[in-house]
Amino acid sequence: MSDNERDLSRYIDSLNEGKKPKEHGLTDNNREMDDIYETVRRVRSLKDPVMPDNGYTEKLAQNIAGELRKNHRTKKVRMTWFVSMAAVAAVVVLALIVNFVLPANKDNIVYAMEQAFKQIKAYHGVLEIAQMNADGQKSTQGKLEIWSDNENRYYVKELIGAQSGLITANNGEKKWQLRPDQKEAYIFSAFPDPYRFTFELGKEVDEIKNALKFEAIGEERVSGRMTKVLKVYPQGGAPYKLWVDKETKLPLKKQSAMQNALQYTVVYTKIEFIEAIPKELITYSTPSGFSEVNKKYEQIVSNLIEAEEIVGFTPRMPEILPLGYSNYNTAVDTEIKAVKFNYTAIDNAKNILILENKVNKEFVPVSTAVLGKIGNNTAEVQSPIQEDWGVLGGLGPYAGITDLKSIRWQNEGMEYAIIGNDSLEVMIEFIKSLKMGDVQIPVNEAKTLLKPQVEVPVNMDIEENEQKSVDSGHSPWKLDPVFVAQVFVSLKISPEGIHGDYPIKYEELKIMQNTGIEAIIEVNDTKTSISKVFLKKLIRKDNTGIWSVVGYDVKK
Amino acid sequence: MLMIDENKLSKAREGDLKSIEELCKSTWEPLYRFIYYKVQNREEAEDITQDTYVKAIKHIQKSNTKVERYISFLKAVSLNVIKDKWRKRQYQGKRINLDDVNPEVISLEDSTEVNAQREVIKDALGRLNEEQRRVIELRILEGYSVADTAKIMNKKEGTVRVVQYRALQNLADILKNND
Repeated sequence: MSDNERDLSRYIDSLNEGKKPKEHGLTDNNREMDDIYETVRRVRSLKDPVMPDNGYTEKLAQNIAGELRKNHRTKKVRMTWFVSMAAVAAVVVLALIVNFVLPANKDNIVYAMEQAFKQIKAYHGVLEIAQMNADGQKSTQGKLEIWSDNENRYYVKELIGAQSGLITANNGEKKWQLRPDQKEAYIFSAFPDPYRFTFELGKEVDEIKNALKFEAIGEERVSGRMTKVLKVYPQGGAPYKLWVDKETKLPLKKQSAMQNALQYTVVYTKIEFIEAIPKELITYSTPSGFSEVNKKYEQIVSNLIEAEEIVGFTPRMPEILPLGYSNYNTAVDTEIKAVKFNYTAIDNAKNILILENKVNKEFVPVSTAVLGKIGNNTAEVQSPIQEDWGVLGGLGPYAGITDLKSIRWQNEGMEYAIIGNDSLEVMIEFIKSLKMGDVQIPVNEAKTLLKPQVEVPVNMDIEENEQKSVDSGHSPWKLDPVFVAQVFVSLKISPEGIHGDYPIKYEELKIMQNTGIEAIIEVNDTKTSISKVFLKKLIRKDNTGIWSVVGYDVKK
Repeated sequence: MLMIDENKLSKAREGDLKSIEELCKSTWEPLYRFIYYKVQNREEAEDITQDTYVKAIKHIQKSNTKVERYISFLKAVSLNVIKDKWRKRQYQGKRINLDDVNPEVISLEDSTEVNAQREVIKDALGRLNEEQRRVIELRILEGYSVADTAKIMNKKEGTVRVVQYRALQNLADILKNND
């Protein structure tokens, strides 16, 4: 096959993918190929053009405004770029290998990013956070110096911003925050860590891996580096833009969508890839003149007898641990008398906690949770954890941390919870090892539930708009199947609208089944003939998907 | 009739987002379609549309222009932008001086030329042999990859590439003779 035939195929492929072929920017003297390329374009003109995405005019206007304003500036300040050349070379070689061996498609972009990130032992950078309002006015919100490594340790210092001088660090053993304005050192548990720092490279790679889709929309120079610009459509939330360094294959800049007339941009103005975080930065010592404030929720115990003496019961420990896990420590909450076993995987990147305490209350699962069974008992599965009910309220906080999952249940007067950032399968292994009977936790798509007696027609256009509205922060109650059922039943009683309190109380509704995709809610109220409400996640099946009523049963 | 007034243009020149947005909203679609027709890919069409506006807003001096006239002006500017970007003689249109733009000519070229061109291309495709026409339809009009085209036609990928090349050579000759 000749080069011309291969080049022509590549040219057609580029146009089919909606991308600019490299031939459109080159100067050569191959008249024959020029004629053939032009013929390709003329044939393609029989098709309708591919139009830009929604919101194009706004984006276009912003870009044009930016370009026109740039003309008024006198001199562009060039950012410096300091890079440890040996480390970058390794990343670049890997990125090149990935690019040459594999054809360029979306999966490979993510794969290249994942592989590039895996090669990094640690990085050090300066992150700038800027805000822009609807009129295009920009302001710098802060500047952070960041050190982070592949064992989840980090050190972040705010260089410029409202909390200038604030240092937050986590060395895997403890987390601390030095607040120079108050001369105080706050100490926290190392895990769970509710908030690390913004624009963490590993987290960005994970986010793009889990995104619904993304598309390459161009190339741009950022902080002196050539980047590929991606538009990412996450699971839940508005699409955002990510600039990925073409050489290192790692994110360099991120820009949120304009929401509530504000748009945020975070960019690494400097970054270097290093062997390790300097030891002195992740070794804790109280600076002179600082007082120490202990915010830890736990007291470490050295053995089970010690734990038993404090909490007043014999805690149950897993007999066999999943591969790679070991018991890092055991702690107790002296106030709610709970025990916490802390297990860490060998690579330190995953943690599992088992919480146990005595209870004398009926088990009520969180309304947004998926339900399963452990032995004969109902189990509540939250992924991520949205509410810290029961034992989850101790030795925390856990709710609102995006990568944490929990399974909570009761057995023989005790309440248990498994919390972790590993897969549900690994968490189930831990539960099985506690020997409380069969474990039935829906991990994948659950089977379809029973059909309702009366079906409720659904307008998908309205539901899609509702989902968009929830994605942008409105009507969060649509994520709670009990609340959606409450509104539905209330409107059946008062079709003219609800004034004041709902005629049906939230407490009068009980989750009978919830697979995470379908749910059945029982109604216990004499004001309505409805006995059960059937709901489904019709637009999106994950925890960001809204619930819609698809039917109901009436009392006999 | 919609008008683009000098006040709006003047604000736009200073980078006023609202004025630029108004300007874009009333003009972007015909301009984008015109550019897409020339470059046949979305990425480049979006880029050139943006560059066209930047260049046009900086240059236009006339006040109180009708939107239709302004669109014609934008199209003329876009031809220059494409020419600058490609820097190749392959591009057939001659370079247009902004001062010499005759918007009516550009408009005419846009509407009647396109329809006539479509007929010429369809006719040229009809003059290819069955195998060549099928490859062109699958690869260019339906957007299949070489591998998928090979599967559909029960041929080797190499054969598809060869047939595709010959088909386009023939088409280029037919079209040249028609032009």
